[in-house]
Amino acid sequence: MTPQTPVFCSIVPPHLLEHLAHSSNPAVAEAARRTLIADASARTFRILPLPGTAPTLAPAEAGKPHRTIYDCERRTDLPGTKVRGEGDAATGDATVNRAYAGLGATFDLFLNAFGHNSIDGAGLPLLASVHYDEKYGNAFWNGEQMVFGDGDDEIFLDFTLPVDVIGHELAHGFTQHSANLEYFSQSGALNESVSDVFGSLVKQYALGQSAEAADWLIGEGLFHPNVEGTALRSMKAPGTAYDDDILGKDPQPGHMDDYVRTGRDNGGVHINSGIPNHAFYLAATELGGNSWERAGQIWYDVMTGGTLTPEARFSEFAAATVAAARARYGDGEEIQAVLKAWSAVGVPTD
Amino acid sequence: MRIRVRRTGGFAGIERSAEVEVSDREWESLATAVLDEGESDVRGVPDGFSYEITIDGVTVRCCDPRLSEAQRALVTRVLKEGA
Repeated sequence: MTPQTPVFCSIVPPHLLEHLAHSSNPAVAEAARRTLIADASARTFRILPLPGTAPTLAPAEAGKPHRTIYDCERRTDLPGTKVRGEGDAATGDATVNRAYAGLGATFDLFLNAFGHNSIDGAGLPLLASVHYDEKYGNAFWNGEQMVFGDGDDEIFLDFTLPVDVIGHELAHGFTQHSANLEYFSQSGALNESVSDVFGSLVKQYALGQSAEAADWLIGEGLFHPNVEGTALRSMKAPGTAYDDDILGKDPQPGHMDDYVRTGRDNGGVHINSGIPNHAFYLAATELGGNSWERAGQIWYDVMTGGTLTPEARFSEFAAATVAAARARYGDGEEIQAVLKAWSAVGVPTD
Repeated sequence: MRIRVRRTGGFAGIERSAEVEVSDREWESLATAVLDEGESDVRGVPDGFSYEITIDGVTVRCCDPRLSEAQRALVTRVLKEGA
């Protein structure tokens, strides 16, 4: 097998993954293979078929992403110059290759876990621009594509480093094409939370991690070494991801009692997302096993079910997860886990 | 001339502000250009930065990625050089 593009280089270097893929411990080998596969093209996917652990693949024709990576060359004209298309060999630019692999990992989660062909369910081509602007410490979804900065060399490193950040941005496209939650106040915090949920699931699926094994962090490895913090957000323990002299403390609440009322950041969409984030974490860990299989499926069903309004508040979303759990799994442990999770974060479900 | 920039939102949701007190021509022409352009489309995109540029008490809002050249030049410079 040829050396792989450094995909999750912030997590495990590829040479180590190659080694781990041949481990005598089946769980370790499987996780390493998953990570390598997530980085690879459809060709490699056939070379290394999964031993029946992932959900059944959709038909081959629907199972191919259509990725294009552009280089902004530190300017702000979008999309920039095309540097890697679908099926093209890796380039000499690790940022380009990480973006390409992250798009593939996101595509794989949506297709394999939910049977959703790309982020719109209809095979939408996935576009990403890297090296946006100079010392740009951000990444965003502009309604049509993903845009990544190289980091400001002070607080943030390259935004393509954590695969959950790539998944997060693409999930904004998923939301736009499904429930289309308005990017303001509670519906905006739900929009943000859904991106964190699916971003985290992209990482968990790629690494073959169960709910118990996952770190539930968003943007782990993105902070410059000078910053006191492990990640941007923690779904497991909102408010604990960083505590730094310059940045201050992670402001996320994990309960409605601490909901932050503010006009900034579109009504605190990146702050109050901690509440639904924590509810998802609680439901997923209560159910155990792979988070994308039941908790993820319920959240996916809510987003694609057509019952949410674009202005949905937390309670409307919570009630929709209860209905979705009942519709798919009946009156079993799934609905109980969802009810318990929302109750624990102080969001009513009726 | 006092120019203040407040940047909110972004993937991290971390706010940043900076202010400069300037009197040279280059700064003034940039600031005047921003004031003349005024506000256009202030609807942001998911995870995009939002900016408030306040020039001698007059505030202009703008959002990534739809900044004008003058807006981008000014916010970049104030956030880099300001305190």
